[in-house]
Amino acid sequence: MSILAPSALDLEALVTDMWASFVGAPELLLPAGPPADDAVLWSATVTVTGEWRGMVSVDLAEAAVLGVTRGMLGFGDDEEPDAASCTDAVGELVNVVGGNVKSLMPGPSTLSLPVVSRGAVEVPSEMEEASVLHLTWCEAPVRVRVLTTTTSS
Amino acid sequence: MQALIIDDSRAMRSILRRIVTGLGWTTAEAGDGQEALDLLEGGLAPDLCLIDWNMPVMNGYTFVQRVRAEQRWRDVTLMMVTTESEHGQIVRALAAGAHEYVIKPFTAEAIVEKLGLLGLLDQEVPA
Repeated sequence: MSILAPSALDLEALVTDMWASFVGAPELLLPAGPPADDAVLWSATVTVTGEWRGMVSVDLAEAAVLGVTRGMLGFGDDEEPDAASCTDAVGELVNVVGGNVKSLMPGPSTLSLPVVSRGAVEVPSEMEEASVLHLTWCEAPVRVRVLTTTTSS
Repeated sequence: MQALIIDDSRAMRSILRRIVTGLGWTTAEAGDGQEALDLLEGGLAPDLCLIDWNMPVMNGYTFVQRVRAEQRWRDVTLMMVTTESEHGQIVRALAAGAHEYVIKPFTAEAIVEKLGLLGLLDQEVPA
């Protein structure tokens, strides 16, 4: 069975664009191997329903979350983002990545609001990983995944 | 000039605020379409609304429809700033009365260019 999903190359291009526009220092986004199980401390997801059905998740280590939040909210290096700011920034991160993934897939479809949680997100049983991008940013692990439904309904 | 930034993400409002205040504009902010409508009802008179599509309570598309249904707000320029990039959605938003449509991620230069096309940059931009 073939799975329709953006390639890792597509993912890398849109993640780099997003980082350059909103976070900063995209040159520090580097390819990496899969993170250790305990490296991912924050997960953010959006789901797409419609002609194409899937889920996009962005998983980040704490240091990456703090850097992303500082970049997006314009905080100084000496400002410590609170949990609400981190949740907001990481949620917008996955919203932008998810919206762009949706635009690469057949439509029409609908994008959910983001869900952000501490700890790795549990993948629904009907979904399987279709594309994954393992990166580090400022040496902190960042993982972007696209999951699609394995059922035809 | 004043911009009303409507987005449920504080991070995105911060990014847009830094762009437009860099042009010497003032800003007001709302976390969803209903909150933005309440500000307009309360007398806020922005020159421009920057509007996300996907928001809780009231989405940006409904906000555009509601604003365009009121003659008193006919002079407000409406610009969608959203991840929604399906052709059908862009057409819907423009047909409902949005003047411009910017897809996230965007650069500050792209926003400034759109403002210029809308005739909203009649003064020299501060360096």
